[in-house]
Amino acid sequence: MSTTIAVSPVTRIEGHLAVHTETEEVDTGDTPIYRITEARCEGEMFRGLEQILRGRDPLDAQQITQRVCGVCPISHGIASVRAQEQAYGIKPSRNGRLLQNLIQGANYLQSHVLHFYHLAALDFVDVTAVLGYGGTDPTLKTVKAWVEGALARKEVFPAAPFLPRYECDYIKSADRNVTLVGHYVKALDLRRRCHEMAAVFGARLPHSTALIPGGCTQTPTLERVLAYTSRLKEVLSFIESTYIPDLIEAAAEFPQYFEIGGGYGNFLCYGVFDLDDSGNKFHRPGVVLDGKWEPLDVKQITEEVKHSSYVDIGARYPGEGDTQPQAGKPGAYSWIKAPRYKGQPMEVGALARIMVNYKAGDGGWVKKEVDGFCSSLNLSVDKLVSVLGRHVARGLESVWLAKQCFKWLEEIEVDTPATTDFTIPESGSGVGLTEAPRGALGHWLSIKDHHISNYQCVVPTTWNCSPRDAQGKPGPVEKALEGIEIKDPAQPIEMGRLVRSFDPCIACAVH
Amino acid sequence: MAKYSRREFLRMGGAVAAGLGLGPSVVPGLAQGLQRIFERQRNVLWLQGMSCTGCSISLLNSDEPGPLEIVTQMMSMVFHSNLSAAQGKLAMEIIDKLIAEGKYYLVLEGAIAPKMPESCLLGGRPLTDILPTALQNAELILAAGSCAAFGGIPGAEGNPTGAMGLQEYMESKGMQTKGRLVNCPGCPVHPHTLVAVLAHAAGIGYPKVDPDLLTPDMICKHSVHDDCPRFHYWQKEVFAENFGDEGCLFKLGCLGPLSHSNCPQRQWNGGVNWCIRAGAPCIACTSKDFSKKRSFPFYRKGEQYHAVDYKEQDRGGKRK
Repeated sequence: MSTTIAVSPVTRIEGHLAVHTETEEVDTGDTPIYRITEARCEGEMFRGLEQILRGRDPLDAQQITQRVCGVCPISHGIASVRAQEQAYGIKPSRNGRLLQNLIQGANYLQSHVLHFYHLAALDFVDVTAVLGYGGTDPTLKTVKAWVEGALARKEVFPAAPFLPRYECDYIKSADRNVTLVGHYVKALDLRRRCHEMAAVFGARLPHSTALIPGGCTQTPTLERVLAYTSRLKEVLSFIESTYIPDLIEAAAEFPQYFEIGGGYGNFLCYGVFDLDDSGNKFHRPGVVLDGKWEPLDVKQITEEVKHSSYVDIGARYPGEGDTQPQAGKPGAYSWIKAPRYKGQPMEVGALARIMVNYKAGDGGWVKKEVDGFCSSLNLSVDKLVSVLGRHVARGLESVWLAKQCFKWLEEIEVDTPATTDFTIPESGSGVGLTEAPRGALGHWLSIKDHHISNYQCVVPTTWNCSPRDAQGKPGPVEKALEGIEIKDPAQPIEMGRLVRSFDPCIACAVH
Repeated sequence: MAKYSRREFLRMGGAVAAGLGLGPSVVPGLAQGLQRIFERQRNVLWLQGMSCTGCSISLLNSDEPGPLEIVTQMMSMVFHSNLSAAQGKLAMEIIDKLIAEGKYYLVLEGAIAPKMPESCLLGGRPLTDILPTALQNAELILAAGSCAAFGGIPGAEGNPTGAMGLQEYMESKGMQTKGRLVNCPGCPVHPHTLVAVLAHAAGIGYPKVDPDLLTPDMICKHSVHDDCPRFHYWQKEVFAENFGDEGCLFKLGCLGPLSHSNCPQRQWNGGVNWCIRAGAPCIACTSKDFSKKRSFPFYRKGEQYHAVDYKEQDRGGKRK
């Protein structure tokens, strides 16, 4: 017998998502468990930014598109300036490239820390353990007093937003929980610091105004470089001494999450962070399809809308795409489109960046780092294609990226402008490919009569949370949900854990 | 609840006032406001409409008070989609229960599209089904950010959803906005704006607002241009011709005269930087007209090529 289990809405992600699943009862001889047989990801919010961009001055695009997402605005800004730079026939100046990397890098670190501690951790950590705290840490004492007070006053919603919650298999050790609550709080400061770093060159966050085609309006001075550097030291120290050990602890507490939620195992990466003017990147572009690496061919990307609430124009390359809403369309269950590569659903994100680079050529430094980490945990690398593996991938990437940011700071020529002059052509086109923290991000821009004639965005969560395509093939998250076992249909924490491991961003996915 | 001394409230009041660029005379009032908030935590229901979550992230960027202080001491954040442990049915039950109980501050982030209810669902329900009662039962309503206040980018020309801000929505439903709704524009909203308005409302009362825009005077009285550190360049008519140049940014497109906000005083992200300081023209993200018209682009680089729908004086800074 099939039981429908839903998480609607999925909270602690960006945006409006609902997940509905069909499950089969598995007889365990004891209490039955429920195994997911099929799943649907429903993107529940639509704004139509692509239509809004049409007819506008092309320079408006990096501002408008940053508003696709308040968590990863910089990556949209970068994708947009890349598309514009191609259309204008320019490249960022040396300082422009470095500052763009440093702004985007800082936002990556912000996003990964936010995701692990503030979005995902409450699926694993028992916040109520602070009630038993007997130590002297002032922050933990404050949190304890607050929870106690709220419970004692019999407030209708005591200790919200941390309670109520699903009552399930959280971490058991009281000490461990208390430590993690302390890290949740510390991480609030750390992610704010990351945004300060991004603002040092980007003017402000979220939604940088300093980001422009060809570079950045902020001229780097020694004072700016020092302001970034001192914060970066603090952030790297947190990542190495707190974030990574917490990941390792989580892995020890929940090893079963290395075994499940892998999904298709097909990965796409556009490459990100230019290391020079000749196309070398920190993360190289590529594709892993059926376990084999191949070079990225952008022309293989199409978007379909059979099950999305748009007028169906068939599978189209994004550069020739269109977005006409059709609310209530029969058979449609999401505002998210279904992008495919060679007709296949692809996973994107930190794990995809790592798997693509690991399998490219000799694997380079990524292979060395990943092999080192996995052998220290006595873990085979293929186990990374899992719920926990996605968390590990974000953590490892944070270390590498924070270290790389120091190198970019050293390369800056202080007091030299970070801009490149340009003119807006009468007509032209450009494709801006980058990687948001959540994965492969592309902007397709066409200009006619000095105005935007078409603008299409294909966004990380569009890939990951896509609905079924015309062939009925589920999207990557839908596929990864299949086989997940749920203990309590009224409290399907296992679904939340799986979905959150992809770090979904629905405002992004639909835009 | 942790106890704070009067001295600590004065410190926090001072920090808020300094952050807002206000003089020392308001510190006792704000300190009292903060004290009252901490004594009787207000329930806050934070809902997201057609938003990008940027305003929530901006709230987390608050310092003095920091996000932990805000969530555990200043208010009871009964539901916030990005922070709540609760999910699924449990989350919807919390929202419904709080709305039924009443006596909460409602914060809306993002625009609303009553003509296309399917464009924004929460737990499968159109937000426009939840909002009327949620607004009716709220003690105070904050429109956080320009989307919630004025429709923002989702409400810009050419949009397919008919997105609008709360004020327009409430007025179309015949709901009272005066004395109930405070528009806190910005894209995103500055965290100090939210903190100051919440502190003022809970401790002192509904703040003094612009009679038409419903924006708080303590934040939005002066334009960015009025208090701009590059104002001397404007007076001397030294203009930046290219991005990265010294000089007044007016000819690059700066809309400081149209943006009523105290960014020059409080700056952004803990005061490390802000748009004009970074050489970035103000895009008037707090203006009611922010991003609204295709023919009024943010920058002026293209105006030699294509028709624009403004005259020099339209960019020059009339109130409203």
